[in-house]
Amino acid sequence: MNTVPRKRSLIVVRHSPYGSSLARSATDLALAMGAFEQDFDLLFMGAGVLQLLSDQDSAQIGLRSAGKVLSSLPLYDVESVFVDGAAMRRYGLKAGDLVLPVNVVDDAGLHPLLSAADHLVSC
Amino acid sequence: MILHTLNCNGNSESFRDCLRTAQSGDAILLLGDGVYSALANSESAQALHDSAAKVMALDTDALAAGLETRLGSIPLVDMDSFVALSEYYPRQLAWY
Repeated sequence: MNTVPRKRSLIVVRHSPYGSSLARSATDLALAMGAFEQDFDLLFMGAGVLQLLSDQDSAQIGLRSAGKVLSSLPLYDVESVFVDGAAMRRYGLKAGDLVLPVNVVDDAGLHPLLSAADHLVSC
Repeated sequence: MILHTLNCNGNSESFRDCLRTAQSGDAILLLGDGVYSALANSESAQALHDSAAKVMALDTDALAAGLETRLGSIPLVDMDSFVALSEYYPRQLAWY
């Protein structure tokens, strides 16, 4: 019997957590893919890195804390979380500011990372 | 080989990140608000010109924006070509 090679997706998260519903869509997608045992990685670029900030308290704006949801990603078998190093510098962030251990990707590493995925999803 | 669909204006973070990411062998298709970034003599058009990726704009959106004669050397493609591009490039990344 033929086995179909598993496809790997890369979810590219580029929007800040509360300005639109895109951030929630990205985490919902990640959690759903995890639940259905799909192979995927996450790459946070641009304002997307702001979703990973620690100490988010969104109770008073009536939304779920993006940081809290994302910090649960390791429970969902997410292989790797990548962060664009240029975005970290742009927003003045260090690894210690984030809710998760991440792999920082430099400019030269960006395109190979995208090309290694079978599917790209941009949220 | 990535087809980047760029749907945001030339002053945005997404525009800059798209250009920083796109490489030789990739294509950038401007659509929606993205067509404005190709306005001849604009800073963003210069950035597009300097990109190693192949740059083009969706004709319907460029015409709607009044840019038919204002796009400098950036070629226009129609919807059928957009479909062909999406078949040719194994990956697509949407910037918006």
